[in-house]
Amino acid sequence: MSSRRRVVVTGMGLVSTLGFSPRSVHENLVRGLDGFGPIQLFDTEQLSVRTAGEIAFEAEEHLGTGRNLRPLDRTARLVIAAAARTLDSSGLAEVEIGSQLVGLVLGSMFGSVHSIAAFDRRALIAGPSYAKPLQFANSVINAAAGQTAIWHGLKGINSTIAGGSLAGLSALGYATDLVRDGRIDTVLAGGGEELCNESFFGFLKAGRLAGSRNGAPARSVPFDADRNGFALAEGAALCSLEAEETARGRGAEVLAEILGHGNAFDASRGREAASAAAAIARGGAAALADAGLNAEEIDLLSLSGNGSPEGDRHEALGLAEIFGERLAEIPCLVVKAGLGESLGASGGFQTVMLIEAARRGSIPGIPGLKRLGVQIPLKTLSTGPRHLSPWGDRPRLGLIHALGLDGGTSSLVVAIHPPSNSGSLAGEQAS
Amino acid sequence: MSRPRIAVTGIGLVTPLGLGRKTVWKRLLEGHCGIAPVRSYDTSRFNVHLGAEVEDFNPETYFENTDPNAVGQASQFAVGAARMALTDASIASGDIDPGRVAVVMGTTSGEPREVERFNDHFVSGEHEKIDENFIGLYPCHVIAGIISEEFGFGGPNVMIPVACAAGNYAMAHGFDLLRAGRADVVLAGGADSFSRITYTGFARLGAVAPELCQPFDKNRRGMVPGEGAAVLVLETVQRARERGAPIYAEIGGYGLSCDAHHMTAADPDGAARAMAMALVMARVLPTAVSYISAHGTGTPTNDRQETKAVKRVFGERIARRVPISSIKSMIGHTMGAASAIEAAVCSLAVASQKVPPTIHLETADPECDLDYVANEAREIPVEVAMNNAYAFGGNNASVIFQKCQIQ
Repeated sequence: MSSRRRVVVTGMGLVSTLGFSPRSVHENLVRGLDGFGPIQLFDTEQLSVRTAGEIAFEAEEHLGTGRNLRPLDRTARLVIAAAARTLDSSGLAEVEIGSQLVGLVLGSMFGSVHSIAAFDRRALIAGPSYAKPLQFANSVINAAAGQTAIWHGLKGINSTIAGGSLAGLSALGYATDLVRDGRIDTVLAGGGEELCNESFFGFLKAGRLAGSRNGAPARSVPFDADRNGFALAEGAALCSLEAEETARGRGAEVLAEILGHGNAFDASRGREAASAAAAIARGGAAALADAGLNAEEIDLLSLSGNGSPEGDRHEALGLAEIFGERLAEIPCLVVKAGLGESLGASGGFQTVMLIEAARRGSIPGIPGLKRLGVQIPLKTLSTGPRHLSPWGDRPRLGLIHALGLDGGTSSLVVAIHPPSNSGSLAGEQAS
Repeated sequence: MSRPRIAVTGIGLVTPLGLGRKTVWKRLLEGHCGIAPVRSYDTSRFNVHLGAEVEDFNPETYFENTDPNAVGQASQFAVGAARMALTDASIASGDIDPGRVAVVMGTTSGEPREVERFNDHFVSGEHEKIDENFIGLYPCHVIAGIISEEFGFGGPNVMIPVACAAGNYAMAHGFDLLRAGRADVVLAGGADSFSRITYTGFARLGAVAPELCQPFDKNRRGMVPGEGAAVLVLETVQRARERGAPIYAEIGGYGLSCDAHHMTAADPDGAARAMAMALVMARVLPTAVSYISAHGTGTPTNDRQETKAVKRVFGERIARRVPISSIKSMIGHTMGAASAIEAAVCSLAVASQKVPPTIHLETADPECDLDYVANEAREIPVEVAMNNAYAFGGNNASVIFQKCQIQ
């Protein structure tokens, strides 16, 4: 394995309900804000749940007015905007992208099920000859990755990874291996997902949204004893990954290094807690082994918890198998407390925000958390932010875990570097 | 230390030309055509009517532990192909650590019939009839998940929805998983089910052939949407030898690239970069390539652009000497399954030293002037086979299958 290259994170970009930069999202999370509100994108009058994490997103504000936005659906617009911010943040926007063969690995659960369904509905109602070719181009699940490549001129390896709420983290792992193995030097990776009536309706029907079962009031507080489902949300979050020598060669700042990752599958597909926990432990162990670390060395966790009664418990049980008693002491970031379940985008948010939070020295809390649920020994969780001890002489080691909605589990291990100019960052510190 | 070499040791096929490696390979070599008027839904509102659908597939045959009626059709095909591939590789459940078996699948549409059913109710205002389990049936990643559930596999489970190149992406990722030691065995493949969305889209683009699918023919008029699945069993050459498993072929390398040019119109530059990357990774010279399985959809543009791309990589003279054929003339375009089925074809070409023909190739096209193995299969030495696949989004994938030298 010594021949494998080291992979570093040199930039991060996102679009979310709580802001359009990792810094502003961090500030808002630390303040205890959430991004949930009444849905504007589609009619909810007949529905029993009417709130979600919808971004007030004006495409022109992010993508400019100089280019034709008409071929782009909402998923593509969100991803293109996040990619623009990532390229800016990494300084890659300054280099000539076309000649660098920058790649893109996008995690997405649906691509755009709204584009797919809308294309079909028009053909159903008006007849097949009225179906829209532009919409058909967007009916493939990899459309957002293709549109983003066209927009930014990304000619390197381009792939889309599905997998529900672990798609974004799985995409980061997949991209890491591409860089490690020398397939590509620079790649944007993470996830993107839109909010739309089709997925909202589907999750509502399935009883997975907070407040969608038994008329109980919505309570999407992760790991809380009275949680009853998740708040569906949208967004996009990407990291630019580079081979260490490529990043050093152009003098880029290294925010973090990706040390390893691991995926596993629970063949009961979430139906049996013991099988689910064993899969999480297997994937986590694979990620730690890939990183050459022991569980004892992990300083921070970024968790998948979204308020699902079963999912949150399975995640805690699985992590307990990895970390044992020490799980009660490790600070945990739970981004979905404020950002909701943004499916394919979630893994991107979990990664970007862990790096950001660690560098800024405070881990946001879980607003509304009253008492931890049964079999959830995550004792460091509280309603308010947790300030980290000052940087020692080494990076902070974090494990990011994403749980799929039906059996998948993915873990990524990162070494987060201190800000090169801690003074200015401390000055900006949110409180 | 050199990286492990990766072997193909099992093949499972669900195609419009039949089921299973032996049947499908025989019919491909004989030049049968699996294209017929669409049966699964009414095409009377279209001006084209051909499709390539799977016949006589009984999912009950392949599901032992889970309920085939509780999953969508692409997942049924996928489990069928996976079961056949494991049997073909002589792998029984007791032979492997299930936690070390990975599943990597590609698809274009996932389970499109589920969103079509959703729409039927949605459009008629019958929201209450929308299946509670829509969200459990429709998302594409369920295809890989259901394979792992059926066989009890607990290793990495990855779904790669990169449209019509997805099967090759799955091969490439399976190759990398094994080389990195992330699994002992990988089931890699692709699956798609016949879909009115896909059919409507290609018909609307004027891309569906009205009478025949004739890749590289001067009078070609389009592709024919199809369905199916293929799963290949991949493992290290060392592991295959230790257990005495026959090896069809070895994966030499792959190339992936993106046009970043147009969502639906191919650009020969991107395709050429993917082929070149694959040759470099496999350390194979263009002169050593014995056969190319073309993307070859039968649309006027694809076949012209692919021909251009092959010439750009191989040079005119060498390009003319390499036999290149499109089985899509026989089984239509099976979408996410296509390049997985063609990966099986490349493996079988290497194993049997035969290459399948491009059928219905009658009139030469001056812009498509390579050797397309017209109408008759050929027996030739096949050391190295290259599998090309191109997708909406401008994604290109080429994978190299070669003879495993030291058996």
